[in-house]
Amino acid sequence: MRSGMHIRRAGIVTYLFLAAGAAVAMFPFLWMILNSFKTNKEILLTVPPTFFPKTFYLGGYLKVLFEAPFLRWTLNSLFIAVVTTAAVVFSSALVGYVYAKFRFSGKKTSFLIILATLMIPFEVIMIPEFLVVSWLGLLNTLSGVMAPSLVSAFGIFMCRQFCESIPGDLMDAGRIDGASELGIFLRIVVPEITPAMSALTIFNFMASWNNYVWPLIVINDVRKMPVSLAISYFNGIHAVHPSYVMAASVLVMLPILIVYLIFQRQFVEGLALSGLK
Amino acid sequence: MRWRDRERFIFFSLLPVFLLLAVFVVLPIVFSLVISFFNYNPLSRHPPFTGLENYRNLFRDPVFLKSLANTFFFVGVSVAINLVLATLIALSIDLVSRLGIRNLFRTVFFLPTAANIAAVAIVWSYMLDPRFGIVAAVLSTFGVNVQFNWLGDQNLVMASIITLNLWQDIGYNIIIVLAGLESIPRMFYESALLDGADRVRVFFRITLPLLARTMLFVSVMTIISYFQVFTPVMVLTRGGPNHASELIGVSIYLNAFQFSKLGYASTMAVTMMVLMMVLSLLQMRIFRANWEY
Repeated sequence: MRSGMHIRRAGIVTYLFLAAGAAVAMFPFLWMILNSFKTNKEILLTVPPTFFPKTFYLGGYLKVLFEAPFLRWTLNSLFIAVVTTAAVVFSSALVGYVYAKFRFSGKKTSFLIILATLMIPFEVIMIPEFLVVSWLGLLNTLSGVMAPSLVSAFGIFMCRQFCESIPGDLMDAGRIDGASELGIFLRIVVPEITPAMSALTIFNFMASWNNYVWPLIVINDVRKMPVSLAISYFNGIHAVHPSYVMAASVLVMLPILIVYLIFQRQFVEGLALSGLK
Repeated sequence: MRWRDRERFIFFSLLPVFLLLAVFVVLPIVFSLVISFFNYNPLSRHPPFTGLENYRNLFRDPVFLKSLANTFFFVGVSVAINLVLATLIALSIDLVSRLGIRNLFRTVFFLPTAANIAAVAIVWSYMLDPRFGIVAAVLSTFGVNVQFNWLGDQNLVMASIITLNLWQDIGYNIIIVLAGLESIPRMFYESALLDGADRVRVFFRITLPLLARTMLFVSVMTIISYFQVFTPVMVLTRGGPNHASELIGVSIYLNAFQFSKLGYASTMAVTMMVLMMVLSLLQMRIFRANWEY
């Protein structure tokens, strides 16, 4: 099917173009990794700059791991990402299912409200959101970082699209067998929409790990920072130690890149689906 | 009995979601509007009501007007380059027939998008450093010995931010356009080639029209998301030098949380919301018009 010989014929020019693009995409990562093994002196003072490290220096990593609360920062990010992702995936599946398969009064209006929130840029609501979180006494807490991210309009929308294609007979069969509505959701609906849920899991985890602006507003305490905030703080106090900063950058990127490489198939499929629907 | 179970299920499924949406989205929008009519700062107990004064000041504020102009420039240039480049790369990947190599390219081009953007911005700031950065070193090996201050020169900073943002973000569109290309049935191409059409003709007569909906979706989403770019600017320049890289989101943040002018910043936020609403309405118009085929 796919092999259509006449059509897919990448010439040398195509490959050169792609290889050049791939080199540009990869270069900053390579450069970061190489520099993380150089000493501060080598980075700052060698003219012209070396490409490969002269000596294999691990001081940057040791500094980050043992003299900065790096583990703490990673755990903060992990905690925020896991809790919000679990909440978003569960609530999106549940609400998406309710909107796809039930009839109730106010359904159309309330769904329009959910859709409308999709169009609101974060910058527009960050000021009052900050005030709400401060009135709730959640400033400078991880709960404050997580609270606005427990539901996702995009997730609800995506799960509703998937739930609409589940045949109603499946649910009716469950009802005849006397299953509760929650039981039907958990045992019949969830297995049917697993692809949507796993794509949503990865999207949300990644967005949470990389979020910067909201933690910047909520968190002051260095020990409560998630990694993206922490790396910029760390960069600020180590401006003259690029080796430490490069090592910290490697360590901040590593977990999320591993997650991406493991789940890339689901990710790419999910992204393609959200773009084609 | 069963009826009650069903209603209870619907009610308790929706309740928490709507509570959260009300507290963290709907209420804040209303707040934004209200605060924008006050001279609000978090320390004063009774902020004075100032009516439309914030709005009048806003459109006479050279810094805000500059950030608005910066944002439009940033979005216009970035979106145009993004769409052309993403389409070119996706088309090229689509020409590769070996599945493993296709997937490899897809993975590589998406990698920057998955990486933490704050960390990416910091790595770039070192690459662009005029003294020990790799960019300066490469330029000097080609005989260019001018020390470009990529992030510190107000004529260069926007170009630097645009490049960084494109490098980081283009993976999304490559994947979506590629998925669009893959969904075009092969036989369309085959019959065109049998009829003797050349590649360029095939692209403009078959690929592009069939890709129209994907392209429309991609451009709308990219425009909306580029109006909200914040992190790279905040990490690298905080809008400087001389407001040359100040985008509207950064402006809102700085006014609200650095200068404690919450009312004034809310005025900017409301203006931005109106702007985004107009864009969204336009988008819906276009989408509906194109829904037919």
